[in-house]
Amino acid sequence: MNGFLEYVPGDSLLHRLNPVAKLLFAIVFAITCFCTGNLVFLCCMFALGIAMAASCGMMKQVLGLMKAVFVFSLILAILLVFTTPQGEMLVELPWGYIGTGSLLAAATTIVRLEAAAIPLFLTFYVTKISDLSNSVVKVLHVPYKYAFTFASTVHFIPVFMNDMKGIMEAQTARGIEFDVGGIVNKVRLMVPLCVPLLVSSVRKTNSAAIAAEVRGFNLRTRESGYKQYPFSGADFVVLALAVGLLAAAICLTVLL
Amino acid sequence: MTIEFRDVHASYDTDTPILKGVSFHVDDGEFVAFVGTNGAGKSTTMRLVNGLLKPEKGEVLIDGVSTVELKTSELARRVGFLFQNPDNQICSSTVREELLFGFRALGRLDANAEARVEEIIEEFGLNPDDDPFLLNRGTRQLLALASIVVLDTPVVVLDEPTTGLDFRECVKVMRIIRRLHESGATIVMVCHDMEVVADFAERVIVMSDGRVVDEGPTFEVLRNRHTLEVASLVPPQIVDISLALSLVRQDLRGTPVTQANDLDEMCDAVAQVKDVEYLGARGLEGGSR
Repeated sequence: MNGFLEYVPGDSLLHRLNPVAKLLFAIVFAITCFCTGNLVFLCCMFALGIAMAASCGMMKQVLGLMKAVFVFSLILAILLVFTTPQGEMLVELPWGYIGTGSLLAAATTIVRLEAAAIPLFLTFYVTKISDLSNSVVKVLHVPYKYAFTFASTVHFIPVFMNDMKGIMEAQTARGIEFDVGGIVNKVRLMVPLCVPLLVSSVRKTNSAAIAAEVRGFNLRTRESGYKQYPFSGADFVVLALAVGLLAAAICLTVLL
Repeated sequence: MTIEFRDVHASYDTDTPILKGVSFHVDDGEFVAFVGTNGAGKSTTMRLVNGLLKPEKGEVLIDGVSTVELKTSELARRVGFLFQNPDNQICSSTVREELLFGFRALGRLDANAEARVEEIIEEFGLNPDDDPFLLNRGTRQLLALASIVVLDTPVVVLDEPTTGLDFRECVKVMRIIRRLHESGATIVMVCHDMEVVADFAERVIVMSDGRVVDEGPTFEVLRNRHTLEVASLVPPQIVDISLALSLVRQDLRGTPVTQANDLDEMCDAVAQVKDVEYLGARGLEGGSR
């Protein structure tokens, strides 16, 4: 079973694309989502993201991700509803009002965050993290140290999530009831558990750093990697699509 | 307090079954060891005992009550669980706070609890003001065990309690577990060290591929060649010698020489049989526990 942000093997078009092309596409896609407030356009971007996920069989992973992003974006949306008095007034508040514009802004925020997140996270599911870090070193000339830091960070997310699960289970076995009293109670109970998580994280990262050092981490240069990452026609098409979407978003913002 | 598994099936995700119809019974006050290769389902079985995992099919009964019907806190009052990694368990800033943590979680923090904590600190030889995260691995394991013992649960589940410990620490931990057992607690332990199993467990349950393949009194099970082969177990040294002797001297099969449970018993039995190479057994003295 694959964990959060862990590579899922496959042979789809997205799997076969150059890792740099995938990363650039995802970044430009996310920027595009923040370049326009047009809800229809954002819905199209969202649909495109879903279509990409479906094309490489990652709907299950994307749905899980969407749920997590939705919770976060909902908090932002609620804040917006109460702090952005726009459009026709629907409900009067002591400090302003909730208007049709407030609701539109909230909906836009939710769709925007969901749409922007999908390709970014999808990149990790369809690309081996080693290929991602090696390719940015080879193609984009990013220093290996930074690429390794990035790759390690992503690699450690599921590891730390697993650690947190283990810690929560250990405390559950001691009588802590995480499933009683709602989200506030759960957060209150989880805060003290950040200490063992932090301790185990520091221990793990320290061990990983020492293990890397003793295996000549500092000797590695751009030329050390033997694998080449050439761009194919499909990569250029994908990058062109990203630029086209960005241009469309900018045009929409300027024209409307 | 008894533990009963009735045709239990369990998995972490529906595609990969881990337990495939496990049934066994542990009596009140028994000391039972679960042995088998990695992936046999031992740790999963332990997680079912304290309700961290619920069975997909079948029943897990603690003193006749299904774990499905018991709340986490109710189960924690009945079953103490020592995890393989003590760092998952430890979360307080001092040893004393760590020992009080369980009482707080169960809503039992009072003067009696504090007195019990002081008693345990003394018994385990811990420093109450030490920072648990700065202790060495063996002491952290000891602290994790102390935080279970302090709650006086009638059932104690130990998932590989001696992993990563040196011989001295291992003996210290196991002696405490033996005292716990002698005080009446039901002990269920997963262990890969067959010497520890032979020295401490009264009964052994052997698991392989999510099933119970053998169970019975410790030495009876550990002398069963078929069981050892099926579960890829390396028997304790004393059993190893017995099995080797049985092979070369068929006339000694079933005699006290090949049925001895420790080195002293074997030496006594060997002394009775003058033509056996006595030095073969003497050579292991000191090497065996």
